[in-house]
Amino acid sequence: MLSRQKLFWLSRVYDLPGSDKRFLRAVRDNCAYHIKHCPEYRTICKAEGFSPDQVKTIDDLAKLPLLPTLFFKRHHVSSMPGWRTPMKVTSSGTSGSFSRVSFDWGCIFAEIPMVLRLGFYHRLVSPVPARYVILGYKPGKQDKMGVARTMFGLTHFAPPVGRFYALRWKDGGYVPDLDGAVKTLARWAHSPLPVRVVAFPSYLWFGMERLEELGLSVKLPKGSKILLAGGWKQHYAQEVDKNTLYALAKRVLGVEEENIHEFFGAVEHPVFFNSCKNHHFHIPAYARVIIRDVRTLAPLPMGEVGLVNLITPLINATPVTSVMTDDLGYLTPGEECGCGLTVPYLTILGRAGLNDITTCAAGAAELLNQTGAQ
Amino acid sequence: MIFANGSILPDSELEVVLSRLEEELPQILGGPPLEAATVLDALEALGNELDNGALDPLIAQFAPPGAREELDRVRPQIGRAALEERLDLELGGLSGPRPFGRAEVRPLGVLLHVAPGNMAGLPAFTAAEGLLTGNINLVKLPRGDKGLTLAVFQKLTELEPDLSPYLYAFDIPSKDTASLGRLAALADGIVTWGGDGAVSAMRELAPAGCRLIEWGHRLSFAYLSDWEGADLSALAEHIVSTGGLLCSSCQVIFLDTEYLSVGEQFCKKFLPVLEKAAMAHYKTPGQAAQAALYARETALEQVVDRAGSDDLNFPGQCCSLTLRRDCELELSHLHGNVLVKRLPRGEIIPTLRRQRGRLQTAGLLCPEGAREELTALLARAGVNRITAPGHMSHTFPLEAHDGEYPLRRYVRVVDVENKF
Repeated sequence: MLSRQKLFWLSRVYDLPGSDKRFLRAVRDNCAYHIKHCPEYRTICKAEGFSPDQVKTIDDLAKLPLLPTLFFKRHHVSSMPGWRTPMKVTSSGTSGSFSRVSFDWGCIFAEIPMVLRLGFYHRLVSPVPARYVILGYKPGKQDKMGVARTMFGLTHFAPPVGRFYALRWKDGGYVPDLDGAVKTLARWAHSPLPVRVVAFPSYLWFGMERLEELGLSVKLPKGSKILLAGGWKQHYAQEVDKNTLYALAKRVLGVEEENIHEFFGAVEHPVFFNSCKNHHFHIPAYARVIIRDVRTLAPLPMGEVGLVNLITPLINATPVTSVMTDDLGYLTPGEECGCGLTVPYLTILGRAGLNDITTCAAGAAELLNQTGAQ
Repeated sequence: MIFANGSILPDSELEVVLSRLEEELPQILGGPPLEAATVLDALEALGNELDNGALDPLIAQFAPPGAREELDRVRPQIGRAALEERLDLELGGLSGPRPFGRAEVRPLGVLLHVAPGNMAGLPAFTAAEGLLTGNINLVKLPRGDKGLTLAVFQKLTELEPDLSPYLYAFDIPSKDTASLGRLAALADGIVTWGGDGAVSAMRELAPAGCRLIEWGHRLSFAYLSDWEGADLSALAEHIVSTGGLLCSSCQVIFLDTEYLSVGEQFCKKFLPVLEKAAMAHYKTPGQAAQAALYARETALEQVVDRAGSDDLNFPGQCCSLTLRRDCELELSHLHGNVLVKRLPRGEIIPTLRRQRGRLQTAGLLCPEGAREELTALLARAGVNRITAPGHMSHTFPLEAHDGEYPLRRYVRVVDVENKF
């Protein structure tokens, strides 16, 4: 499986044309691996008449069997026995069902250079120790939630000298402590060490609103950053305009817009998407994105809005090569961003039909349990 | 959130509210009874607010999209005249003089409603049925309820403060059996809406002697005989608009034929009709995307979960048909992905008998001459509603609920001897 390592150890993190050949080769090998080791994936490929040798050009990536995230919620498929997968991660599963994705050693070995290179590129890596306020979950043995691990991972770009978690596991559930976070921020603002706030956007928003409500504002030490991960989750309705968020961050935390970084990824697609200085998610060399028509699922040209299909050969343990998210989004030519990167960037507009699935999904899950079918 | 005594309280008050209820319920039951006229007045006032748009902000804020249309459709059934007719039909004749003296209709007392989450407004509706029969209502809200029921209860008690002691709502999760058990211990009757899981869980929690009123999940289907030339668009619209999620939603289209080839012909003819209905129904890109994802998921599940079966798959845009060779009634893939099976009329009774107690609606499409015969067969097989295919999920004034008159289940008949 060296083709995968060759791709993920690439040093030019945003060179898409330069990485196409390696990407295609790694995808072919990745698919062949899943076909050999995952019976469900093999059955799907057979039914769709797909074989890895059909992937010759970047356009051919659209032929990969397309698995919606819902599939991973209903089928815990795997291409490796459990003892060969050191890490198992789940999505946060707000509606009760969740995806389970296993990671193999080769995947972890490939992820490390990817994260480090992108971290250096986006100036997240720093030798100066920092204190971390995490407006998110404290990872623990009790759960395997992907976003908790991502947030924990983000606390290593600068050597950590302290961590405060706003969501803590207590008596079988997560308990939020926004006021504690606010107090900690106020205390650490007076220290010379930079502070890094790692947060769900919604929690950052509520936390900063709380600060403002209390009439508090702090000026976090120089070099402080805000790192946003995990999307708006169940707080879509309260999603705020990004510029309002940046203005508030400057007002109450004293953090400039250029020090606010966002990340995008999914349990089923753990490629490390970073926002550029203009807050755009350019596609790194380790992934490709296809936007698909919401009705026919056919690939759409640049600029058109559709379902976001994420492709990466990162994982051998679970067949997540080509995953259909339930996010709607579109691609824009990189040149239009102005940050200097020329690769296209992905804009996520939100979850498809979010409002109409909450009740239905709950009802459907119950129905499915009831008959014991499917 | 909790609703008690006319106000909305945080979940942290649960302990206090439960303790107070345990003390107060006997007092309320010992006080003057709740008259149906009071409830009718309040519901009428609420209906007027709904009609003049005063509730629109609430609906926009709390209810899922489409709830407004749904409400407009059921509006006649919650009007004063319809409710009075229902009281008369369902409870009339239960009370009155008897050779020994007289019979009186009394509320059961305290009803615990385990409300469903698959249709906005149902938690409020089940409570309204309890109120109409004079009961004190404790409602366990479904997980998906974003506040609509609480808002409706608050509005209702604002319009008629006398209802406050009779309405409570609790946002407690199903797994919190300790709190549910305490509520169940207070109840004279438990009204459970939901699947077998919810029904069995509540049976375990119910104290001995508590009346169990179970509106469990039901399965519905369409039955088509000699459909050549018939307009199938109403059936298609029904399948897409209910998403298969209601008890009355069509899960399987049964065809009155023995031949698989006839089934194939039907699927080829019906798929474009279903696609057209889907295109018209999923108005936003988000809704269309969700439907396309479900259709894709259905295709994958057919391949993975039914590997080795000889199902015939007919994938369409945002919908699909699956022709299966057996004739069992079962749950479909939902969201516009429906099953097609052969069921010659001679097999109706032996086949459907296997699902007795789960059958609800049959949408019947057949030539006029066969209607009576097929209606009788379906009714004898255990079906409780027989409608036109497009009307399967319509509510009809004065119809029974799963073969029963609900209000009768929420009352007791008290016989009183004249002289003793």
